[in-house]
Amino acid sequence: MNMLSTESAISRFRRDLTLGRLLRLALMVGAVVAVGLNLSPSTRIDGTFPLLVIGFVWVILSYRSIKGNRLAAESPSLIAAGQLDAAEQHIELALRSFSLFRSGKMLSLHHLALLRHAQRRWRDSALISRALLQQRFSGPAYITKPSQLLLADALLELGDLPGAYRSLAALSREKLSLGEAMNFLLVQLDYESRLQAWDSMIARGSMYQRLQLIELMPTVNAARAQALMALAAIKIGRQDWAQWLRGRAELLVDAKELIAERPFLSEVWPDAAGANGSAVSLIPSPGIPGEG
Amino acid sequence: MNQTVDPSVSPLPTDAVIPRPLDPHELIERSRPAPAGAWLWYVGGSSLLILLIGSWAGSQSPQLQTMMRVLGGLVFLGLAGGMMALSWSVARKRGAEIQNLQTIEELIQLRRTPEAAMWLQRLLSAPMRSIGPRMQALVYLSAVLVRYHRFEDATVVQNYLLDHMAGDSLGVQALRLNRAMCMLQEDRLVDADRAIIELRRMPESEESGGLALLEIYRDVKTGHPAEAIEVFTKKLPLLRRQLGHRLADAWALMAKAYDMVGETARAAAAYTNATLLAPVSEVIGRYPEVGSLSGRYTAAAAPADE
Repeated sequence: MNMLSTESAISRFRRDLTLGRLLRLALMVGAVVAVGLNLSPSTRIDGTFPLLVIGFVWVILSYRSIKGNRLAAESPSLIAAGQLDAAEQHIELALRSFSLFRSGKMLSLHHLALLRHAQRRWRDSALISRALLQQRFSGPAYITKPSQLLLADALLELGDLPGAYRSLAALSREKLSLGEAMNFLLVQLDYESRLQAWDSMIARGSMYQRLQLIELMPTVNAARAQALMALAAIKIGRQDWAQWLRGRAELLVDAKELIAERPFLSEVWPDAAGANGSAVSLIPSPGIPGEG
Repeated sequence: MNQTVDPSVSPLPTDAVIPRPLDPHELIERSRPAPAGAWLWYVGGSSLLILLIGSWAGSQSPQLQTMMRVLGGLVFLGLAGGMMALSWSVARKRGAEIQNLQTIEELIQLRRTPEAAMWLQRLLSAPMRSIGPRMQALVYLSAVLVRYHRFEDATVVQNYLLDHMAGDSLGVQALRLNRAMCMLQEDRLVDADRAIIELRRMPESEESGGLALLEIYRDVKTGHPAEAIEVFTKKLPLLRRQLGHRLADAWALMAKAYDMVGETARAAAAYTNATLLAPVSEVIGRYPEVGSLSGRYTAAAAPADE
């Protein structure tokens, strides 16, 4: 499929925002002038008809914008269901359609960043998220905070630790929703593990609070977060925590899958590089619980 | 004990007069969105009438024409200002409603059920602004009622939602799963079995971890542990992928199934796995049948946070 390239999507987004802003301004100025004409007894021009035309144009463009927004709103569920091609089509249509309001355009571009993230195209995801966050007027929080999280994660994947730190620092000043806090914790653990900040990963007194968040995460995220914490526990000599966290992680996801994503996790499962790659010591094979 | 009652003191409230919290029938009725006010039409109609009269009057004399143009401009200004204020007010109230829903969702996820119940009672006690958020609030209400083991009330809400939701969306499937689970909890085994058969007919039912869990529970509950073990064995990869830490539920039911067939070593291992993923109290709270295993098998305790 011939999809918009990242650069062209960003330039189209910027162009559409400018166009939308100019159009809104023109319509508002036109409306003010038309009303002014009617209010001023000295002029002989009637502003009623132009005002009606402006109102009609506004309603039509608003309707088109709402249609585009509805199209864009379906994309996250398609991405979550793994239907990436269908999501790509939706996003392309939404990005190509005109929107009078900037939030609709921003949401479509954010969905493109989400899609690129799901496709593991980290550079593209980072570029798009950065373009969103660099807007002169910041967008609504329901777009900017997830964009900041996406950016932090994509930069981590690209090995840009200072960039990831800046995004995490910006987010730490924000009030996050529960879902955002879960994602933040996962990215933070990933970041800290790369910095080898083991002590802060197993901070005393905050373990249960972190685990409560982790237990709400989707399977893979919960497993990765606990595997990262198990590694930290090994590094600081907390074998009790290491064993407990490792057991939970491997009940959720096979160790070899976790290691494939983060090779340094092989320290948590030293035997995982074995012949069959299986290190699921605590997970009994299906039908024979308790074995292993 | 002999007590005298002061007749001047009003009688103690009884169950008959205390409003029952989270009454599903009452909350469903009270939360219905109010019909849109007719005043908007009156304002719009009056403005149009003024403009028409103005237009007619203007055509009668040039002096009146100037005056009516000014009046028309003022009417437009008033309408535009009024519409903006109205849109802002509606958007603000909708935003607050959605914010309340988000808070309730978070409280439910964090298992702060009493607080979620209070928020729901308040939100659903008055007409809600729109249908979508109301349906979502009712979904949360059914979840809270399940937490309080009020399965019959939860089923009332679920039935209402299913009657008013179309299609086979993920939300509808989840509701049907939850309703079947409530039926099992209430020991309505025939109804539950029928509901499971219906769920099996839904598209992609083979890929539903929730349905697999439901079938395992039904088999444990009806004394068919071998079938429960068979489903678990077949569906474990699916359960792991979809359930997250709620995989604890499946392991707990497996512990019970293995215990029922006398395979105590496997039951002990499954019980450890279940309690590794979730606290014992939580698992037993959801499946009272598992309570009999407590004390007989060792739970996996979390290390101390010090």
